Amino acid sequence: MTHEMNLAVNGTTYPLTVDVSRNLLSVLREEVGLTGTKQGCDDCECGACMVLVDGQPVNSCSYLAVQAGGREVTTIEGLGTADDMHPIQAKMLEAGGVQCGFCTPGMIMSAQALLSDNPNPSGEEIRIGLSGNLCRCTGYQKILQAITEAAVEIR
Amino acid sequence: MANATEQKPAPRFVRADGPDKVTGSGRYVADMSLTGMLHAKFRYAGVAHATIDKIDTSAAETIPGVVSVLTAADVPDVIYSPVVPDRRLFAQDVVRFEGEIIAAVAATTPEIAQQAVDAIVFEYTERPVVDDLEAAMAPDAPLVHEDWESYAVTGDTPRDRNVATFSSIAKGDADAGMAEADMVVKGRYVADGCHAAPIEPRGVLAQWEGTKVTIWTSTQVPFDARNGVCETLGLASNHVRIIVPHLGGGFGGKCGFHFEAHIAALARDARRPVKLVFSREEEFIAPDRRRESMIVDLETGLRSDGTIVARRGWVAVENGAYTADAAFFPQLAAMHVAGPYKMDNVKIDASLVYTNRQPSGSVRAPTAPQACWACESHTDELARALDMDPVEFRKKNAIDTGDTGAVGQVYDEIGMQECIEAATSAIDYGKDLPENEAIGVAIGWWPSFPGPSGAFVRLDADGLGQIVTGAQECGTGAVMTLRQLAADELGMDPEDFQIIYQDTGVGPYDTGATGSQTLLNNGRAVVDAAQQIAEQLRVHAAEQLEAAAGDIVLVDGAAHVAGSPDRSIPIPALAEVAAEGEQLLGKGSGTPPAYPDIPGMNCVGDQGVAAWAAPQFSCHAVHVRLDPDTGVTRVLNVSCAHDSGTIINPIAAHGQVEGGVMMGIGQALTEGTQYSDDGRQLNAALLEYKLQTFADLPTITTAFIQTPTTEAGPRGAKGLAEAPNVPTAAAIANGIAKLVGQPVRKLPMTAERVWEASQ
Repeated sequence: MTHEMNLAVNGTTYPLTVDVSRNLLSVLREEVGLTGTKQGCDDCECGACMVLVDGQPVNSCSYLAVQAGGREVTTIEGLGTADDMHPIQAKMLEAGGVQCGFCTPGMIMSAQALLSDNPNPSGEEIRIGLSGNLCRCTGYQKILQAITEAAVEIR
Repeated sequence: MANATEQKPAPRFVRADGPDKVTGSGRYVADMSLTGMLHAKFRYAGVAHATIDKIDTSAAETIPGVVSVLTAADVPDVIYSPVVPDRRLFAQDVVRFEGEIIAAVAATTPEIAQQAVDAIVFEYTERPVVDDLEAAMAPDAPLVHEDWESYAVTGDTPRDRNVATFSSIAKGDADAGMAEADMVVKGRYVADGCHAAPIEPRGVLAQWEGTKVTIWTSTQVPFDARNGVCETLGLASNHVRIIVPHLGGGFGGKCGFHFEAHIAALARDARRPVKLVFSREEEFIAPDRRRESMIVDLETGLRSDGTIVARRGWVAVENGAYTADAAFFPQLAAMHVAGPYKMDNVKIDASLVYTNRQPSGSVRAPTAPQACWACESHTDELARALDMDPVEFRKKNAIDTGDTGAVGQVYDEIGMQECIEAATSAIDYGKDLPENEAIGVAIGWWPSFPGPSGAFVRLDADGLGQIVTGAQECGTGAVMTLRQLAADELGMDPEDFQIIYQDTGVGPYDTGATGSQTLLNNGRAVVDAAQQIAEQLRVHAAEQLEAAAGDIVLVDGAAHVAGSPDRSIPIPALAEVAAEGEQLLGKGSGTPPAYPDIPGMNCVGDQGVAAWAAPQFSCHAVHVRLDPDTGVTRVLNVSCAHDSGTIINPIAAHGQVEGGVMMGIGQALTEGTQYSDDGRQLNAALLEYKLQTFADLPTITTAFIQTPTTEAGPRGAKGLAEAPNVPTAAAIANGIAKLVGQPVRKLPMTAERVWEASQ
């Protein structure tokens, strides 16, 4: 069964006809054409597919595309550009919080959700807030540093 | 003399692939699409050991949207793998593990491809499942490979039935030494297998044009992947181009040749591009790179003064169903159960044992975390038997500069003792701790792997640089560091360079992101190439400045006459001149550092991993807290010290240690593959196979002991990416053992196992 919908992503509205069973992740990647959001597991365990729906962090692998109708979706492509990075993006690079980069978009979106909700998080609050995003490369410590420094800059 | 360096150096530059990765614009294989592209799915055996009675693909082939269905009959009959060739692309006659591929499908959508895979009729007769390492070595055990004697094995590779390779390391007379001992301590240690588990599930995309194929793939070793495609499909090397876009982690799991040939064969048959993207479950089950399970028996004779007089060891390393790159694992495991200790009499026998499980292969420091865990758990038992502090025992027995190791290698300038001192003092070892807390300490070592490697460097007319290399970046930052090396040779800024890498059609040969070898070998090649351009620039500058070329220095983006800073010309101005004639092109490879010679070494089954070039040393001291009611261990603080020679890119180096530590904590506490009685993985998902999360992060501090090393990489750099993964689990084990009163003899040391040991 298909469904006609308007999907608002990063300020642009896309008219789409999607099967009602499709998840938001596959629609973002294959129909909208934004591949910055990654597929790492398909069962909400890795966080690589994290996007914001009306500002709230969502694992897009386990969220139906049709649920996003009438809402504003923000992906990593909506945050900053290479020439004008969001502070979380810039600090992730400066602190060495990026290695292979596959978890990075999801990690940054979770951090953005956290800092929007709590502009001055403690180290423990950052750890808990990002515990849904797996990183196999960095050991998390430099990401903790990056988000701590980004929070200071954003405030 | 070794010296510890600063802990938090300032960043010098941002990694060149960084902006791609933080903005989501960087492309990984799964992000790529080509016009007309089909989607591939594999039919797996789904049974651990069986005789194939029938594979019928006729129903699958008639499903609308299915373009190609391939089985063993559709590709050349080639048996491949290094040292012990024992594997085909598709199962033929027998399946030997659940993830073995029996057929491949290409269809217009992934869903149709899956439907076709499900429609393939596979009939089989089950065979007994070989899944116990000791039982598999019995003379009457069922064979995993009945035709094992027919394989075209290379090198000094003793074998017998289910023992795919055997190696021993030996020195002195272990039996006589043991007889002289004042006391003998024995122990058995059993480690489960585990996984590399990169966050990116692998992808492969193949496209033919005429007789040539381009394959975009998430491999750590592009040239190895190319050679595998050529070997199995009968293609010339210059007809196969492997390109890796960004690679989403590997940790050894993406080393070797995997699925590139299957997808290339589908694309050739379908006459369309074909793409494969693994699910997480496939990423767990199908690759032939899984960290091997292991049984270690150790017996050590001690003198009452606390010195080691003899060690005997017996090691069984799980090979799984096929020998991927694991032929050298027994010898490497033997080196790690001997450990970086002085001992005159040693005999360790180690076997690589076939089972009907997923093949083992090089995962980050293969064999080392488990074997070090066994060795270092045993070392703490030795200290306990002597009523000696385990750190004092290590200081007394660990090798130092000029000492001789377990196979007779004499180690030049090394920082082993300095690592022990730095790691334990930084964590204040010996301080008073609450009742349920302890600090465990372990030491480790790891070889560097010199090898051939090449790179080109060029400066264009505007003075901006391009590094073209066959090296592979898997996230470590090693390839990113090449910019720094080139820039330093030319007096330029790293930001002046871009890098073209991981493309076999463009860059010269490199082994790939394996064996922590990128900076060691490709770094040398880039320095070599950059020096050639530096010489060209000096000649041009000498003409312009009316000075001798030998008096020209390259600093701050300009060429100066030495001693006369005013007489200078910017490098872009020189590049503009050069572009009109002989271009600024450098090519580098050079001679790899030498492997040490060990006179009189009497190892059997030598696979080349007993004599260690530029050996790396490490000590981890880990502060743990144990909940005695549940057996749950919490890691609070990890103090690391590493001798990896000169550290060239401090941010990347610290990142390697911190990532290796977190992987080590996972191996210590939660990561272990669980199997059903019929040989199938029970926890092939991230919900059941638990990686460490952000919430588990302890404080990690690192000291680098920058020992000068002559036969090493540029500026005396050794490898680093694998070493941090070696001693963490062992150190945690020793912390737990202090609290429980005895070692937990199974890895991972799950809450259940710790609780049982404490009862």
